[in-house]
Amino acid sequence: MELPLPVAFTFSPMRNTPAANHRAQKNLQQKMQEGTILSFTTVRHPPEGFPVGPRVIGLIELEDGTKVTSPLLTSDASSLTIGMKVLPKMRLSRVNDQGLRTYDISYEIPVQKPVKQEFPGYVLALTGPSGVGKTTVSLLLSTTVGSYVERVPILTTREPKEGDADEYIHVSPEEFLALKNEGKLATSTSIPSRDEKRWYGYRTEDIEAIWEEKKIPMIITEMNLLQGLASHYGRRSILSFGLMPPGKSKRQKLSALLHRLRDRGRDTEKQIEDRMKNAEADLEFFAKRSELFDDLIVNDDIDSVVGQLGGLVLERVKA
Amino acid sequence: MQSPIYLTGTGQTRFGEHWDMSIKDLMEESIDGAIDSADCTALDIDMVVVANMLGEVASDQAHLGAMAASLLPHHPPALRAEAACASGSVALHTACALLESGKAETVLVVGVEKMTDISAGKIAAGLMGAADAEKDAPSGLTFPGIFGLIASRYMHEFNLSREQLNHVSARHHKNAVSNPFAQFRKEIPAESISTSPKVADPLCMLDCSPISDGAAAVILSTKFKSPIKIAASQLATDTLSITDRPTVTSFAATKDAMTAALEEAEIDRSDISHIELHDCFSIAALISLEDMGFANPGEGIALYEKENPMTINQSGGLKACGHPVAATGIKQVIDVSKQMKESKSEYGLAHNFGGAAATCGIHILAYA
Repeated sequence: MELPLPVAFTFSPMRNTPAANHRAQKNLQQKMQEGTILSFTTVRHPPEGFPVGPRVIGLIELEDGTKVTSPLLTSDASSLTIGMKVLPKMRLSRVNDQGLRTYDISYEIPVQKPVKQEFPGYVLALTGPSGVGKTTVSLLLSTTVGSYVERVPILTTREPKEGDADEYIHVSPEEFLALKNEGKLATSTSIPSRDEKRWYGYRTEDIEAIWEEKKIPMIITEMNLLQGLASHYGRRSILSFGLMPPGKSKRQKLSALLHRLRDRGRDTEKQIEDRMKNAEADLEFFAKRSELFDDLIVNDDIDSVVGQLGGLVLERVKA
Repeated sequence: MQSPIYLTGTGQTRFGEHWDMSIKDLMEESIDGAIDSADCTALDIDMVVVANMLGEVASDQAHLGAMAASLLPHHPPALRAEAACASGSVALHTACALLESGKAETVLVVGVEKMTDISAGKIAAGLMGAADAEKDAPSGLTFPGIFGLIASRYMHEFNLSREQLNHVSARHHKNAVSNPFAQFRKEIPAESISTSPKVADPLCMLDCSPISDGAAAVILSTKFKSPIKIAASQLATDTLSITDRPTVTSFAATKDAMTAALEEAEIDRSDISHIELHDCFSIAALISLEDMGFANPGEGIALYEKENPMTINQSGGLKACGHPVAATGIKQVIDVSKQMKESKSEYGLAHNFGGAAATCGIHILAYA
């Protein structure tokens, strides 16, 4: 059960200041563990600042022995029993007057999803911040291992612009959402821009057509699409590589990206600024979700990267 | 105690909804009662200790020490003690320390809480200040929620049924009928407890102590004698958050304070004839009886299922007498002293805790 979105509030005991929020974020990582329900209750009247209506809260013992009290995501508290295993899930907890959104960890009873038995095939995914050289690498890959790899077109609602290669298929937002609702997209994400919400995604039919040709579909992607893809086809179907800019420190890496974006000359300074912000998040993503990557490759010498990737792809194909 | 501390005066307001009284009015009525019943005069009071939890939250009022002192003609030195619902017993303990040290000979202790001026939602949020604000509160727990977790675990571990738990509040309501200071002087049949609206499963409205206004005051003295002495005054603490404890069905602070109090009074628990215990929620009464050693773990309910020689919460307890939080610990001592005088029994005990027993204060009174 998704709880209703909390409303803004001001009462001080449930304070939601940036500093208190920051301290809370430090503990989130620790709460991301499996746990066992030691006890639970349904609070019929949560305190001010929380959504009105019953709130199921558990006392949970985590795997490392620490205990937490957190909401339990369930539509039916009577289905819960003490001793049940629960899994963590990050969700929006509160929004303050200034719009600061506080996230907290809730726990849910794992639903027994049938494990996909058949292995559909590999998808090659390249993830990395913009400017790292994903497109260049993918073009070179098509020439070296082109007989094994084919790029999957990106479905998008954004307006075509000059410099677009044939990598995009442009559709209207209505068409996009229709495909999404019919389950015809393997993964999708929306990126808010100044005046509209832009959708990006990959169609299952495009990916499956490439498999029909006995080739490996290749996608150039970002973190949200990668996560979606991994849950759609299963993580083991994804040959996932993260491309990192060269440099020892985060500052050096970001500076390398900045130079490349400026050299490329496609974006305005404002756009570059936005891309740099995302780049920082992308670099963090590599560290936080390392399980989503088979390898992280530093793009310092394009030939060696292409050689390395080509080798890894051939290895899988032969296996 | 090195030099005996006597309970010379007691006074309290009725507990309940006093819309016509401010925090100061409540204090004044209880202080007047204490001075009137004492052997000393107002001018004999050397120091004042005020117990209060929610002055800032519910009345925009801090600095309650000076407020209480200003009600006395000579404005004696005054201070405030805060330990959530255990504020009352912490204030009593502080007063005992002042008396034992010789810093004062006669101390007025007044506990006051004004809770009905603000909405129930705000009071519920304010009361959560008794838990860990960064560990417990962000989940959306209320205090009934914390005790809902405790009750649910207790029922799981000890196989206590919901019907059995009903006896706790039913007994307290029955006891309150004869207490003129009680908020609810009304008997409620056991079966009505679990059919009252749910608050935090498995706890229902009638398992929870109410929101109350009220004040209670006592005068403790080493100079002015009375038949009632403080035989023991002990405090103990536990982790603030229940998540940092090995168990939630037993409170270490109660156990520690009880052991120390029996030792200080040099008595056995079987010498005690009357107890007032901290039943902020029905389940807390059972856990407290067990932690004080009056019942084995999981068997506290037996003391409610049948009558027994030791009286438990003859005042109606927090449930039926009302729970103006910081006044409770002091009111308990007043009630125990009255019960001892009436039955001419030797020992009585007041058990008061704050939060989920993160602070516990136990006072043993002796009658001679």
